[in-house]
Amino acid sequence: MSTYIIRRLLLVPLLIFGVTVIIFGMLQFLGPVERSALYVRDFPKNDKQIQGIIRKYGLDRPIYEQYWRWLVGVKDPVTGNREGGILFGDFGYSRTASQPVIDIIKNRFPNTLDLALWAVFPMLSVGIWLGVQAAVHQNGWVDQLARIFSIVGTSFPSFVFGLLVLIVFYANLQWFPPGKMSDWVSQLIFSGDFHQYTKLLTIDALLNGRIDVFLDALRHMALPILTLSYINWATFVRVTRSSMLETLRMDYVTTARAKGLKESDVINKHARPNAMISITTLAGFSVVGLLGGVVITETVFNYPGIGQAAASAAQQLDVVTVLGFAVFNGLILILANLVVDILYGFIDPRVRLA
Amino acid sequence: MTESLLNVQDLETQFKTPEGIVHAVNGVSFKLAQGETLGVVGESGCGKSVTMLSCLRLIASPPGKIVAGKALFKGKDLLTMSTDEIRGVRGSKMSMVFQDPMTSLNPVMTIGKQMAEPLILHLGMTQEQARKRSIELLGLVGIPNAGERLRDYPHQYSGGMRQRVMIAMGLSCMPEILIADEPTTALDVTIQAQIVDLVKRLREEFGMAIIWITHDLGVVAKIAHRVMVMYGGYIIEEAPVKELYAHPTHPYTLGLIGSLPKLNEDGRTRLYSIDGMPPVLYKKPQVCPFAPRCRYVIERCWQENPPLQNITPDHRVACWVDTTSESERL
Repeated sequence: MSTYIIRRLLLVPLLIFGVTVIIFGMLQFLGPVERSALYVRDFPKNDKQIQGIIRKYGLDRPIYEQYWRWLVGVKDPVTGNREGGILFGDFGYSRTASQPVIDIIKNRFPNTLDLALWAVFPMLSVGIWLGVQAAVHQNGWVDQLARIFSIVGTSFPSFVFGLLVLIVFYANLQWFPPGKMSDWVSQLIFSGDFHQYTKLLTIDALLNGRIDVFLDALRHMALPILTLSYINWATFVRVTRSSMLETLRMDYVTTARAKGLKESDVINKHARPNAMISITTLAGFSVVGLLGGVVITETVFNYPGIGQAAASAAQQLDVVTVLGFAVFNGLILILANLVVDILYGFIDPRVRLA
Repeated sequence: MTESLLNVQDLETQFKTPEGIVHAVNGVSFKLAQGETLGVVGESGCGKSVTMLSCLRLIASPPGKIVAGKALFKGKDLLTMSTDEIRGVRGSKMSMVFQDPMTSLNPVMTIGKQMAEPLILHLGMTQEQARKRSIELLGLVGIPNAGERLRDYPHQYSGGMRQRVMIAMGLSCMPEILIADEPTTALDVTIQAQIVDLVKRLREEFGMAIIWITHDLGVVAKIAHRVMVMYGGYIIEEAPVKELYAHPTHPYTLGLIGSLPKLNEDGRTRLYSIDGMPPVLYKKPQVCPFAPRCRYVIERCWQENPPLQNITPDHRVACWVDTTSESERL
């Protein structure tokens, strides 16, 4: 098992190289002048100034040199300060947000993480549970219902669903407001009596012992969680159901029954762990989707996550910011893949030795 | 023979398919005595596996359905008892070994855990007791280093070893009947012989009755006391093993035995084969199901389905034709 994990870890630098080369390659579709425009905060006054920027950032240098410089930056020979270098967290300066891209990520990502943290459990557990039930009672009413739900869920867009739940639960019932927190919570945070240990509001609330803040945060996240779960349930039900149906036809399931095991044990101990192998892949991608920011959901519910920031940057043609998010997303994807690969090792013993 | 251990009467099993209802087993009756080994022979799809799976109610339902009959195990009907009761029989009083050892063990569970399950379930053992017993059992079926190998997963075992594990697992609760569903079909010839010898040895040690399903007449000759030949969901001939090989009577049995290669024949004779394919029965046959492929077919075969009748006290045949002269020739 440990050699398996080490081998996976050794792949990580290679993957990072691949992701960065692709993203950097996209930048190269622009000419030096256009790229130089990405670096300046104010409009350049004359041509000379542009040439100066091009020289300063080495935009006329060979591609591999530019790539390296983009990756690790350059040290200023006089001050010794490093300039640029995405590996050191310098993703560039966001023209539209008037702050470094890394600061946007630092501000927004905890919110996205907070939302993902609470969305992942209902999303996975209910989706998988429903899929298993549908497979076990194939063609029964649970199955029919799950299949209808899965078709509706796949074809009914999340922004419509989001608006619908907003109308019902916010506009009409006033149960769950959009946004991230109520005014009194933001005042509390602003007052400084509330320590931000992790920047994840729910976790901080618990660490501060403020159940009221915690509940307020959950109340604001309820509708985004519902919407995210809703989109993912449809897929999870479908994949779990077909994977379970396939597993239930396997010989070892008959063996388990022939041993005299209870049907619930046959399903939960023998069939489901095998079906989980293909579900893990899907779960990995879904979690990556959540961490990368869920653009539509965050926008509909005005939730200040990374997806919302990416959307607004893209709308204003802020290339540097969008590319910064792309790199960040790529790193998350690599990390999540690593986690999924390691999980595979735990779930499927055949993978460990392969 | 006093009370039989297993007494199956008029068993009928059907499968619902998109093409129609398939009549897989069409009124099968047989008995199994304590400690007896019964060979069940027939082509693929003749209903031999379905018959035995039906007895333990292991037919997937839907699409399968047991529509009639009884399967009395020590006088109690397995087909009507409660789910909990039948679970108490499965793996404990009657256990099964399946055809393909590569797929009949759970790939994501250790051998130790899979072996412990019936021991804990039926004999109420603790984890530790089950582990010790599993080591003994694996030793018994000839797996060296059993203690360490319990931690292994099925993919770390060879096919023959997996089948040994299946047999050890099947015997773990000292069953009275072991149903072996083509346990050697998926294995190499040399391994096949080892498995047959192993089961024979274990039969002496445990004294269980065996139902050995196969299409290999050679294996049956080695292990069975009595043989039942099935065709189209019917038993068409049944006799003690020596009697069957000496006096095969049903044209189908004649064909099966006739299509075995013989050592004393010169190499130029063409190996005999039965023409045609076994039937898939969308209707319960009203005439002899073998008639379309039979060499001896007579008018009556197309009018009535022959019942299984005794020709000697322990030899039953379902055929209208007298093939005695043919069987002498073989």
